[in-house]
Amino acid sequence: MNVIETEGLTKRFGERTAVEGVDLAVPGGCAFGFLGPNGAGKTTLIRMLLGLTHASAGTMSMLGMPVPERRAQALARVGAIVEQPGFHAHLTGRENLRIVAAARGPEARPRIGPALERVGLADRADERVKGYSLGMKQRLGVARCLLADPELLILDEPANGLDPGGIIEFRLMIRDLVEQEGRTVFLSSHLLDEVEKTCDHAAIVDRGRIVTQGAIADLAADGRNELIVGCDDPGLAAAVLDGYSGIRDVRRSPDGLRLTLAPGRDGAAAVNTLLVEAGVSVNRLEPVRHSLEERFLEITTRLGVEA
Amino acid sequence: MNPIVARQMIGAEFLKLRKKRGLVGWALLLAAGSVVIYLGVKAMQHSSNPFERPPAGGERGFERTLELLGFFMVPLAAILIGAEAGAGDRANGVFRDLVVTGRSRVALFLVRLPGALMLTFVVVGVAFLLAVGGVFLFAGGDPTPSLALVAKAAAWSALANGVVCIVAVGLASLIGSRPATITALVGWQLVASPMLLQSGSLGRAREVLLDGAFSQIKPGLRGGEPVLGMSIAAVVISIVLWIVIASAVGAWRTATENA
Repeated sequence: MNVIETEGLTKRFGERTAVEGVDLAVPGGCAFGFLGPNGAGKTTLIRMLLGLTHASAGTMSMLGMPVPERRAQALARVGAIVEQPGFHAHLTGRENLRIVAAARGPEARPRIGPALERVGLADRADERVKGYSLGMKQRLGVARCLLADPELLILDEPANGLDPGGIIEFRLMIRDLVEQEGRTVFLSSHLLDEVEKTCDHAAIVDRGRIVTQGAIADLAADGRNELIVGCDDPGLAAAVLDGYSGIRDVRRSPDGLRLTLAPGRDGAAAVNTLLVEAGVSVNRLEPVRHSLEERFLEITTRLGVEA
Repeated sequence: MNPIVARQMIGAEFLKLRKKRGLVGWALLLAAGSVVIYLGVKAMQHSSNPFERPPAGGERGFERTLELLGFFMVPLAAILIGAEAGAGDRANGVFRDLVVTGRSRVALFLVRLPGALMLTFVVVGVAFLLAVGGVFLFAGGDPTPSLALVAKAAAWSALANGVVCIVAVGLASLIGSRPATITALVGWQLVASPMLLQSGSLGRAREVLLDGAFSQIKPGLRGGEPVLGMSIAAVVISIVLWIVIASAVGAWRTATENA
């Protein structure tokens, strides 16, 4: 089941269109990255989902409930951090959670202790938030989300301002929330590396439009299946492989020969056999790992050229 | 919103306010501190010149002290508290996090009122107790106020400061800024309202002023010295209008603003 669905979602600020006709489908039980450069419309879309601002056009639903029509029921099982989490600095972490638990309802208050334990803040919960680091505030923000016992967590740029240690810690926590607790995490980010390491699925957004969405591995590879071949005679190897039907393209690269295999073909063994039988000594045969970063830059550069 | 949730949310509002040491300190200084200073100065003046200076306390002293409690310094404490209650969530970036709980925005506004009133009444209560203590302590040869007068004065002080607090919550929720709310209301309370009240050319239009209404019902030896001579119905209408309009604009803004 999709936990978030939007159709033709649009937000205009006067003449400027921040989000344009977005069709988004976020599957349940995964970490979903909403990836795009700054100003792409990520936060605006999140704000519309949460009812913080009105949509200009289109429909949306969360946890199967249309919003804004059933916003209150949907948000009862959603935890969200929009931009930086805000707290009353003069109150302790625990007191800040009490404020939100009161608004959530009586069932939320007993969750304060476990939520603080869950994010590793139980020892510091009775200190004032003004003394918290940014990483601790982010974790307290997640604890606040957990007061809803959420099926869906929406985190807007959660890694912003965190140091490398904090980013790793946060990433592990998100993976735990998904894998151990079965929750869905929707996180927006402009950090490609972060989305790639944290998420199972992603959508790439640029200038208010969804460019592509799907499983991370599929997005990064974009259907390409490539091999790097290292050998003693690249010229002979290229000639041998050029006529092979399972290979679409053969190029020389600094790493060796770069082969693009035909779709659906797992050709490493066949390539090795062909080369060895032709007398080529193979010292390297490695699938190319495509990064989301390459794909992201490719897409956004292309869009930039079009514009 | 069911009563349990309402009680919890009001408790949360009170928690936010009472834990703000700076706010509580300033509110107590303005309310209780001003009463102590006023009575202390009056007592010293009386002791240095008992024939020309009346006692600080007694019935007459009590009546004068009520001016402080209902019109001047203590309402400033109510303004501080109301402004914090109305704009504090927004100033701390917490309003958005409360909205995403799914709780109605109008409910988020409405619970600010009792939360702020609770702290206001505590502060006013402290100031009032000090005032009553001082009035009895420094009565000199004057008669002390009766229990009935003290009770009426307590209710009057609570009402006058409670309404000012509600106006501050509403205005702060409307404009979203504590400093702007405090500046506007302090200017109104200490300068504009007293001036308008004394402007005879405004005639009955002055009946909309809160100070006019509270002056009319201020308890005292002669049943108060009303400036305007308003009817009780006009007093009630004036007070209710201020409460309703302040609450309505605050609720409207809280319900419609982008969080």
